[in-house]
Amino acid sequence: MPVSSDPLIWIAAFYTIAATSYAFRDNILFKFSENTYIGAAAGHAIVMGIKNIRDYGWAHIMKGEMIYWVVFVLGVMLYFRFHRQYYWLYRYPIAFLVGNGVGISIRAAIHSDFIKQIIETAKPLTGATAFDTFNNIIIFIGVITALSHFIFTYEGMHKGTLGWMPKVGRWMILLALGASFGNTIMTRFGQYQGRILFLLRDWLGIVA
Amino acid sequence: MSAWEKLTALPREIVLGLVLIAMILPTLKPLGLPLMVGTMAKDWYDTVDALPSGSVVLFDIGFGSGGYPSLGPATIAALHQMFEKDLKIILMATALEGSMMYPLIMNKVKPEENYGAVYGEDYVFLGYIAGGQTAMAGVLGDLHAIVSTEYTGKPIDQIPLLKGVEGAEDISLVAYITTSGDTSEGWVYQAYSAYGKDVVGGMLSMMTTSMKPYYDSGQLKGLLDGVKGAADMEFLTRHPGDAIKSSDVLSFSQTLVLIFIIVGNISYWGVKTSEKEGR
Amino acid sequence: MDARRDIPLVITFLVGVIAVMDYYTTFSAVKETFTVIKNWGVVLNAFALGLGAVNLFRVHGRRISERKRSDWPFSAWLLLMLVIFVLVGLGTGQFDASDQYQWIYNALYLPIGATMYASLCFYMSYGAYKILRARNLDSFLLFVTAIFVVLGNTPLFPALFPPFFHIREWIFKAVVGGAYRGIRIGVGIGAVVLGIRTLIGMETGYLGRR
Repeated sequence: MPVSSDPLIWIAAFYTIAATSYAFRDNILFKFSENTYIGAAAGHAIVMGIKNIRDYGWAHIMKGEMIYWVVFVLGVMLYFRFHRQYYWLYRYPIAFLVGNGVGISIRAAIHSDFIKQIIETAKPLTGATAFDTFNNIIIFIGVITALSHFIFTYEGMHKGTLGWMPKVGRWMILLALGASFGNTIMTRFGQYQGRILFLLRDWLGIVA
Repeated sequence: MSAWEKLTALPREIVLGLVLIAMILPTLKPLGLPLMVGTMAKDWYDTVDALPSGSVVLFDIGFGSGGYPSLGPATIAALHQMFEKDLKIILMATALEGSMMYPLIMNKVKPEENYGAVYGEDYVFLGYIAGGQTAMAGVLGDLHAIVSTEYTGKPIDQIPLLKGVEGAEDISLVAYITTSGDTSEGWVYQAYSAYGKDVVGGMLSMMTTSMKPYYDSGQLKGLLDGVKGAADMEFLTRHPGDAIKSSDVLSFSQTLVLIFIIVGNISYWGVKTSEKEGR
Repeated sequence: MDARRDIPLVITFLVGVIAVMDYYTTFSAVKETFTVIKNWGVVLNAFALGLGAVNLFRVHGRRISERKRSDWPFSAWLLLMLVIFVLVGLGTGQFDASDQYQWIYNALYLPIGATMYASLCFYMSYGAYKILRARNLDSFLLFVTAIFVVLGNTPLFPALFPPFFHIREWIFKAVVGGAYRGIRIGVGIGAVVLGIRTLIGMETGYLGRR
C-alpha cells in the first residue's frame, strides 16, 4: 500500500506523533496538540449539548408541553455560577441534578452492591469438585476479610483476637490490586497499539 | 555507581525507545500466536447466541477516542455477531464522543453490505443522550417519552423498529461497551437491578477487576475484558480484526515490561545486599 | 426559609425521593412525575456541557487580552479550535452527523484523544523499570499477582506454557472475585449512606461557597 495522500490522515498522523512526544520530553508540538485537544473537546461538548437541548427539551416545547420552559430557565441558571452577586442561583439546577443523580443510583445500589453480593457470598462452600470448593473458600475468606478491613468504627476489629481478619483482608486486597495493575498495563499497550497500527497502516501503508 | 545501580540507570529516552520498538516490530512482522479464549468473553458470546432471531438489543457505545483503540474492535466484533444472529439493535451513546464512534464502527461492520440489514428496520442509532444513568433510566423507562428523534434528526415515529419498543419490557438484552466506571455500574443498576434485564458489558481491562463482582453474581451475563476480550470476540465470531493483530504487540511489549520489572528488582536487591555486606 | 440555601436542599430532597419511590412503588403519578424528572435531567445535563467552555473563554480570554505569558498564542489557538468545532457543528444544521463535522473530529480530536490516554503505556513501562519493587510483604503481594496476570495476558507465555493462562483465570475467579466483592459491598454501603445524607441535607458540599 502506498503512503496515504489523504490530508485527514496526515493531520491525524502529525497529532499522533505530537501527542506521543511528551512521553520523551515536553515540547512545543505537544503543547500545540494539547491546546488543540482542549479546544476541540470543549467545542464538541457545546455542539452535543445544543443538540441534546434541541432534541430532548425544545422538541417537547414544540409539542406544546410548556412546562419544559422551566427546565430551560433552570439551564440558564447554571451559568450564574460565574456571577459574583447572583452565583447562588446556580444552586437550584445543581440541586435538581444532585437529587436526581443520587436518587437514581442509590435505589439500585442497595440491590446490586449489597443484597446481590451478600446472596452470592452466603452460599454453600462445597462445589462440584474439590477445586471449586477450594475456590469458594478463598472467595469467602476474601469477602469477609476485605470487608473487615474497612470497619473502623469498632476498635477491636484491628487488634486483639480479631486483628488477623483485617490483616488478611489487606493481603487479599493487595493481591487483587496487583491483578488490577497487571490489567492496566494491558489496557495502555492495547490502546497505543491502535495508534501504531494507524501510523503504519493508514498513514505509511507499510502493513496490511 | 555500582554494577547493580547501573542496571537501572538507562536513560528515559532509551527505555521509551525500546518500548516503541517492541510495539512497531511485531506490527511489521506478526507472529500469529494462538489465542486462549477467556470465560468472560465466552459468556458474552453465549448469551447473545442464545437469543432468538428478531430479539431487541439495546447497545450503548459508551466510549470515545481514548477508548477506541481497544474497545472499537470489541464493539465491531460484538455487532458482527448480533447482525449475524439477525437481532434488532437499538444503538445509543452515553459517552460524549460515542456518536462520533458510531460511523467509524459501522464503516467496519457494514450491516447493509454484509448482512442485508436495513437502517430503521434492523438497527437504529439514537445518538448521544446526556445524563448518564438518567439517560439509561429514561430509555428503559419510556423510550418514546424521552427520545423524539434518532441520530440524524428523523422522528422516531417514522422508525419501524422503534414502533414496537416502548421500554425495558420490549428489550431482550442490554449490551454496553464503555471506558467509564459510572456507565458500567449504571447499566447494572438501571437495567438489571431496576428491570431485571440481562446485561452484558465490555470495558477497559483496568476496570474489569472492579466490575467482576457483578459478573460473579450474575448481574452481568458476560464481560469483555478490554483488548483481550476484543480479541476473544474476534476469534469467537470469526471476524479477525485489530484486536487479534494487537496480540503480538502485547506479547513483545509486555515481555519487555516484565524484563524491566525483573531487572529493576534484581538491581534493588543487589544494591541492598551489597550495602548490608559493606556494613 | 433562605432562598439561597434551603430551597436547593428541598429540591434535592424532593427529586431524590421521587426517584427512589419510582423504584419501590407502582403509583402511576410517581412514574409520570419521574419520567418528566428524567427528561429534565437529560436537558439540564446538556446545558451543563457548556460550563467548561465558558470557563475556558474566561481563563484564556484573559490570557490573550493581557499577553503577559509567552504562551498566549496557544490560548488563542485553543479558542479558535473551540469556535471552529462549534461553527462546523451548528453551521451544517446536522451537528455530529454531518460529514464536515466528522472530518474535523477525525483529523483533530480523535488522534490526540486516542494518543493521550494510550501514551500512558510509556510512563507505566518507565515506572515498572524504576519503581515497581518487592520491598516488603505488602508490595510483594501486589507484585506477585501483577506478574502472573501480565504473564497470562501476554499471548506469548500461554502459547509456550498454557498454565500461565489458567493461573490468570484463577486469580480473577478466586482472588479478585473475593476481595473485590468485599470492596464492592463496602463501597455500596458508603454510597448509599452518603446518598441518604445528601438527600436529607446533611451533605451540602455541592452547593459550593456559602
